Amino acid sequence: MSRYREIVAALAGAVLMAGVAHAAEDTKVALVPGGPHPYFSAWEQAGKDAMRDFKLGAADYKVPQKWELSQQNELLESLVTQGYNAFLIFPGDPVGSVSTAGELADTGAPVIALAGCLKDPSAAAFCFGTDTGNSAYLGTKELIKALGGKKRIAHFTGFLVDPNTQLRIDAVEKAAKEEGAEVVQVIADIDAPEPAEEKINAYLAAHAGEVDGIITTAWVPAVVSANALRKIGDKRIKMVGIDHDEVVLKGIKDGFVAGTMLQNPYGQAYIGSFAADKLRSGCTVKADAPFKSNALTNKFIDSGTVFVDASSVDNYVASMQGITKDIMATFADTYLACK
Amino acid sequence: MQSLWRADWFGPLVVTVVAIIFIAAFNPSFLSPLNIQVLLLAISVNMLIAFSQMIIIAIGQMNLSVGAIGGLAAISFAGMMEVWGLPGPVAAVLALLIGVVAGFFNGFFIAWTGISAFVITLASLSIFKGLNLAVTRAQPFYGVLESVKAFGATTFLGPLPWLLIPAAIAFVLTWYLLNRLPLGRHILAVGGNAHAAELSGISVPRTIMAAHAISGLLAALAGICLVARLQIGQPTIGDDWLILSFAAPVIGGAVLAGGHVSTVATVLGVAIVAIITQALVLFHIDPFLVQVVLGALILWAVGVNRWREVRVARSLKRI
Repeated sequence: MSRYREIVAALAGAVLMAGVAHAAEDTKVALVPGGPHPYFSAWEQAGKDAMRDFKLGAADYKVPQKWELSQQNELLESLVTQGYNAFLIFPGDPVGSVSTAGELADTGAPVIALAGCLKDPSAAAFCFGTDTGNSAYLGTKELIKALGGKKRIAHFTGFLVDPNTQLRIDAVEKAAKEEGAEVVQVIADIDAPEPAEEKINAYLAAHAGEVDGIITTAWVPAVVSANALRKIGDKRIKMVGIDHDEVVLKGIKDGFVAGTMLQNPYGQAYIGSFAADKLRSGCTVKADAPFKSNALTNKFIDSGTVFVDASSVDNYVASMQGITKDIMATFADTYLACK
Repeated sequence: MQSLWRADWFGPLVVTVVAIIFIAAFNPSFLSPLNIQVLLLAISVNMLIAFSQMIIIAIGQMNLSVGAIGGLAAISFAGMMEVWGLPGPVAAVLALLIGVVAGFFNGFFIAWTGISAFVITLASLSIFKGLNLAVTRAQPFYGVLESVKAFGATTFLGPLPWLLIPAAIAFVLTWYLLNRLPLGRHILAVGGNAHAAELSGISVPRTIMAAHAISGLLAALAGICLVARLQIGQPTIGDDWLILSFAAPVIGGAVLAGGHVSTVATVLGVAIVAIITQALVLFHIDPFLVQVVLGALILWAVGVNRWREVRVARSLKRI
């Protein structure tokens, strides 16, 4: 298998290197999430828009069938043979995907870790995603603000194998501690509908009286919690969700959810495609770029987050576009060195 | 008492009762109407998932595509309501049909090619999941009808969820199939010894195809019930079913080699898993230790039943 990979990499690399000028229309960007998840669906439209706006050859959204590293790796190998020459990847595993990113980079293709980071050192030019810890921290602060005097919080979050989960748990704890609140329960590993439904409802059935607020830091728990609060008709418990699922947005409009922390998947894919094309056409990442650091990498760029509540929920699309516009305006000057 | 002790379901029943008493003693809210409703909701859907695998275990095979069939039926059900505006019952019947066809597809290829069910269902898992993603593009269907949502969220006679009705019907029919109908006997006979069954005039290929079609039907019913319960057609429905689908029948004493399953004990197996899952939430178990505790408790539940079986076998030898 590794021999096969070497041959594929060598052939693809030779083809790529043979090209003298890398015009934008030669750039074929593959946007590859870790697996199927509604969070990434905005990448598809962002890819299409980037292709149109930056005159790329392609910017296609390609989804592995399952959340398995092997499936993602096989898909990436297949995309190399199909002529894709720039890769925006949500790493299936922050360490396990490092070697795959290296193989892709060996073909001459720029690799950017999108929405989730690779562990340093890696071949990724940089990591462009939500500062998950900061988003969870700000969301908790917003929740505590909505709670007023009552401050017992339950935290529902995603897969434990996702390195972001521990960052989110720590950030919620930190924000709660600063405000004199108590995190009475953390339920994790529920970023799938069945376990989320079972565990969140069981928790609310037994402990609803013991909590004043709910913070959710993953997509599915946010949807299930919003539905659960609507089902039991409880507006006493305040909730701050994450992302822009219709169920959560409707919960905000109807008063069952205090607000949500929007992430910026559209901007990640749109600006990521732009950056990948620039890297192909000779730009390099500035050595002194003002990258942030997180637990995995020292080359992190925050794709932005914004809190939306009942007063701003009707304009949430504009809020998301606003973040993208702001980052895009200075991105090239801040992070890239182009001749 | 002796016959009770020998029954397959006795061990799981003891475990279930002990677990309920233990948890209720430490956390009285466990027996609150709302918590009972939540527990019954989980049991209703998980029961269908377990039956779907149990039928295949009965013929001595395994079906890795149970979740993929359920997921495909689920998004088809929700999608037909949202995109085509079909009434709930019509969409449900068509989704069930999809489950039957998908199951029959598995059975047909297993019987026709002689390739192991493991390989065929591994391949079909990929096909059905791929169809799911091709249809949904990993985006949920939100247009679930209000009547369907109400069916998944409301109760009757206090805390009993309406979703218990399809699960109860499936339980009665599955029990009747395996204990009273010729097809059920054929399924168990093929699972016990396919060659002997063939020599007795049973059509092994037909039995395999029928078992897989029934398995597909039950998986599709579980998918439909989950759409009603979640109020949304999530493309990831079914992704988590595999372990549960095996755990419940095995806790219920099913022989993985085939020929012996117990419908009642499987229901109790489902109840045990649901109760343990709830208990871990109620007792604030550290999220990083949940899987360890869950595994240990399931092992304990299986161990109790195994201990009972060994005791029964020894007492029979003495006779």
